[in-house]
Formats: sequence, C-alpha cells, structure tokens
Amino acid sequence: MREARLGPEEMAEKKREKTCSTCFEVPIGPVHPALKEGIRFTFWVEGEKIKKVDIRPGFMHRGIEFMGTKRNLVQLIYLAERICGICSVSHPLALVQAVEEAAGIEVPPRAQYIRVIIGELERIHSHLLWAGVAAHELGFDTLLHYVWKIREPVLDLLEDITGNRIDYAIPIYGGVRRDIPPEKYPKLKDALRYYRSLVEDLLNFFLRDPSIEARTRNIGILTREEADALCAVGPTARASGLRKDVRQDWPYFTYPDLQVRALTPEDMGLGVRGDVYDRIMVRLLEVSQSIQIIERCLEEMPDGEITSVPKVAALLAQLKKAEGEGIGRHEAPRGEVFHYIRLEADKEAPVVWKVKAPTYSNLMSWFPMFKDQEIADIPIVAASIDPCICCMDRVHIVRGEREEVVWKEELLRLSWEKTKRVASRVTRHAPWGRKG
Amino acid sequence: MRAQELLEALKERLGDKLRSPELEVEEIGHRRIRERGFIWAEIEREDLLEAVRALKELGPLHISVISGADVGEKIELIYHFAVGYGTPDGEVMVNLRLAVPKDDPVVPSICSELPGALTTEREKIEFLGLEFSGIPDSRKLFLPDELKAHPWRKDEPELSEYVRYTVAWEAKKDEGGEARA
Repeated sequence: MREARLGPEEMAEKKREKTCSTCFEVPIGPVHPALKEGIRFTFWVEGEKIKKVDIRPGFMHRGIEFMGTKRNLVQLIYLAERICGICSVSHPLALVQAVEEAAGIEVPPRAQYIRVIIGELERIHSHLLWAGVAAHELGFDTLLHYVWKIREPVLDLLEDITGNRIDYAIPIYGGVRRDIPPEKYPKLKDALRYYRSLVEDLLNFFLRDPSIEARTRNIGILTREEADALCAVGPTARASGLRKDVRQDWPYFTYPDLQVRALTPEDMGLGVRGDVYDRIMVRLLEVSQSIQIIERCLEEMPDGEITSVPKVAALLAQLKKAEGEGIGRHEAPRGEVFHYIRLEADKEAPVVWKVKAPTYSNLMSWFPMFKDQEIADIPIVAASIDPCICCMDRVHIVRGEREEVVWKEELLRLSWEKTKRVASRVTRHAPWGRKG
Repeated sequence: MRAQELLEALKERLGDKLRSPELEVEEIGHRRIRERGFIWAEIEREDLLEAVRALKELGPLHISVISGADVGEKIELIYHFAVGYGTPDGEVMVNLRLAVPKDDPVVPSICSELPGALTTEREKIEFLGLEFSGIPDSRKLFLPDELKAHPWRKDEPELSEYVRYTVAWEAKKDEGGEARA
C-alpha cells in the first residue's frame, strides 16, 4: 500500500512544528548581503527575533586538498596561496612550516623576519578591508570608501616589495623568494608612519560614533565561556576576552623575539562584552600592533641569506627524499591557520594534506551570536567574525528551493533603516542630514 | 606547562592507554630562545574521551582539526589538540593517532567534552564515511546531500562515477546546451 503523501503546505507545517511552533523560516543565501561569498543561513524567526539558526556552507568547495595531492611540493605553495585571496600569505606560511618540519629544512633568520613582515602587512590590509565591510553593512558608505582608500597604500607597498598586490609568492621551503633590500626600508617606514597617524582617526570614527555604538554594542554576543568551548580563534576569540593568539602562545618564526601579546578589549581599558563593537575594537588595535611589529623587525632584522636551499631543482630533490609528517600553524588576520602534511620518500606529491582555515573554527560561534538578535542585525553579525568561506569550503548543486527568500537588497535596506532609526535617537547629527 | 611536564602528566593520568608516546622539542627564536613542543601518541578509540578529559584538566584546550587518511585496511585519524593557550610561548601540540577499522567505522564523538569539535567531526563523516557515536548533528556540511561517496576513501568506485557524470555535465554546458543560463 502506498503511503499517503503530504502536500507542500502540510510538509511546511510539519517542518515548523519540529522547530518552533510560532516561528517563520527565513532562508538567506547562498548569495546574500553580508559577504560576497556563498553560504546559506536558515533563520527561524518569531516576530523580529531570531530563535534558531542553521548554517550550510559548501557552495565554494573546490577540492583543494585533493588537488594538492596531485602536485609536487613547490607547486603546492602556489595552490595554497590561492585558497584565499585575503590570507594569501597565511596559508603558504603555515604550509612551509609543516613541510620544513617534515623534511628537516632550516630557515635563515633574515627569511623569518621577512615572513613576519609580509604576514603583518597582510594583517593591516585584511583588518582595514574588514572595517570597510563593517561600515557598509551598517550603512556608512562614506566610511567604507574612506577606509578602503587608506587600505590602498599597504597594497601598493606589498606590490613594491613582492611584485603583487595579493598572492605575493614569497615563502618557499627554507626561506623566502625575495629579499627586502635596505633601500626599500624608508618607503616601508613612511607607510608605517602614515598608518600610525591614522589609527587614532579610525578608532574615533568607529568607536566614538554614537550611531555605530548603538548598532554594535550588545549585538551578536559571544561570551568568554562560549568562545572557549566552541574553540573560537583569532579576533573573534580575543574580543570575547580569551587571550588566544598563535603568535603569543606557540613559538614560530621570530615571534618569540618580538614578544607579541594577544589583545583584548581590556587593553583599551574597557570591560569585555564579546559583542560586535568589541570585535571592531580588537581588529583596529591589531592594526596598531602590526605597525609596531614591523617597525621592530626592521630594526632587528639581521643581514644574511634569505634561503637555505636557493636552487629549486635541489630543493625538489631534497623534498623527494623526505619522509615524515609535519604541522604548521600561523596566526592569520582571522585566526589560526593549521596545515598538516605527510611526506613519503620517492613521492613528489604529499600523501596527506589537511588545511584548516580560521573560519572553520569560528563557524560554530555564529550560533550563540545570532540567538535573539533582530533580522536587521543579520548582516553585521554575520560579517563580524570576518568569515572567509572559500578558505573553509574547499561542489555544490543548488536546487530551486522556492521558499521565502529575502533578497540581499531587502536585507541591506533593513540594516540601513535600523541605523537611521537608531542614529536619529542617539544623535542629532546623523550622517543623512535631518530630513523629516 | 612545558612539553616534557605535560607528557609526564598525561602518562600519569592515562598509563598504558597512551601508546608509544613521542616528544619533539625544538628551539625557536634568535634573541629570546623558546622551546616548542610536539607530543605524538597513539590511542585506542575507547580511551579517546578519557584522554580528552585528561587534556582538559591540564590546560585550556583547543582542537585545531582532526586530520584523516585512508591507509588501506584502516582509516587513520589524527586529533590535533593545542594545550595551554593564553600562556605566552606555553602552548604544546598534542597529536593523538587513532586507527579505525573500515568494517566498523565508529568513533566516539568528543563534542560532549569539546563542543567546538563538531565542524571537524561532521567533515570526517562526509569525507571518510565514519560514524561518530553521540554526535549532536551528523548532517552533511560541505558536500552535496545527494553525494553518496566519500572523497577521501580510496576504495569507493561511486566517486569516480560521480566525477565522470559531473565532467560530462560541465562539457554539455560548455557546448552552449540547456545548462548554460
């Protein structure tokens, strides 16, 4: 006997019963406003409040780890560099550490300093990019354009040092591929002075603006206990008061010499709330910290070789003989990047390669953050962990699911309207003038 | 806690359950030299939860990821834990190796002890065809729901079939067929 089939309405009703009897299901994404990358959020909302959320990544899965096992180790660096366009040096830095550990390759001190400098320059540009996105989500497009304008010099500087604005092709096993010659130091110092003069402005624009404060204070809270239990990483964990930073906790490169400290809102003399405001604060403080680190590197950097195996053919031959496993970790702008590699003798390609990007660890943090928030806060809360989906997903088929879809324009409009509403309450000088 | 002390404390708590432990210590830095430690050990799946509890007692515990590979008869998992974050230069990587037979691919979930391990456990289910007992959510995470194969397994013909199908579909799309929107 055939089972009686339920109609679409009955199915929907059944689904609703399972979750929350008075809730509406609102799917957002895979294409949506907070990010320019594909991820689907399903929210169960009661009125304006979010009661439950489900997250479905996988739309950007490219099978990079599989591709990696079909390439030789030098080609692998360039593949790792393309895992993420923003963290384009973080993945190679973690990978080279893993391979150097497995194959027992030494790295000259100067190369380690250069790796740190490029990594910290990347942090400055990534945090500024994120600050611009956050301003846009809140409806402050002037601030978006301002922040992205001041982000340009660091990209120009990276181009000057490495030849590229992103995908710098700098790390290689045993060192780096290009030196930073002393004649480039003045340019680097000029850029650092420029950013130092702007940090105070940025802190003022973001943290002392009553409308931004009203839109981000006590929004998207992740408590210290939740961050700890969910293994959050990077600025997301630090904004919740967890002093967790790979550069501080795990000695690698020259970071033990530089004595980097994990920054939390306490370093600004404020209490920790773990909200979006705190996450903005931590990232801006880290821009300032990166400037200090680079300045110190320029002072302390010794002369010498930049790689221990300068010839690529010799390097490949040495790597082919190598057998063993290794781990590489690096504090990327978004948090911990982790690479595990296993090499077998007489094989050019790695046998196992596992990549862990920061968003992979921070994915779970979204669940407590969205709880009891308003629909208009979805974009800023989603963006607040600085997610990078293509890093984390590494083939998805989209079926035409006709459910209630909120278009990105609609959601952004809701967020902007909320800022207007809130701004008119907290300040008479709202950036939109005082019409009406 | 230094790596050596951590290993001693782990041995004391776990006894023979911690099999063939190895310690690697390296010196890092130029002016301020600091030690960095790795602990590699093997463990039976029954003892996994006990080991996680012991690690939790020994310091703030973070799981970076679980890496996995199909090594023929068995599936090998490596749990990469970082013990002791928050103490400058005090973190130790503890890597616990676990062999899971393919005819009984069940591993206890560590989500009860460390809820943050859910993402990485869900990934292992879809990529290696494992089962985690006691996992709060076992749905697919990164792969399409209709994909029955497990991409990291080396003994599954379904996957090559799926790849062939996808390639053929893509080729049709390039000819300017219906699929090209």
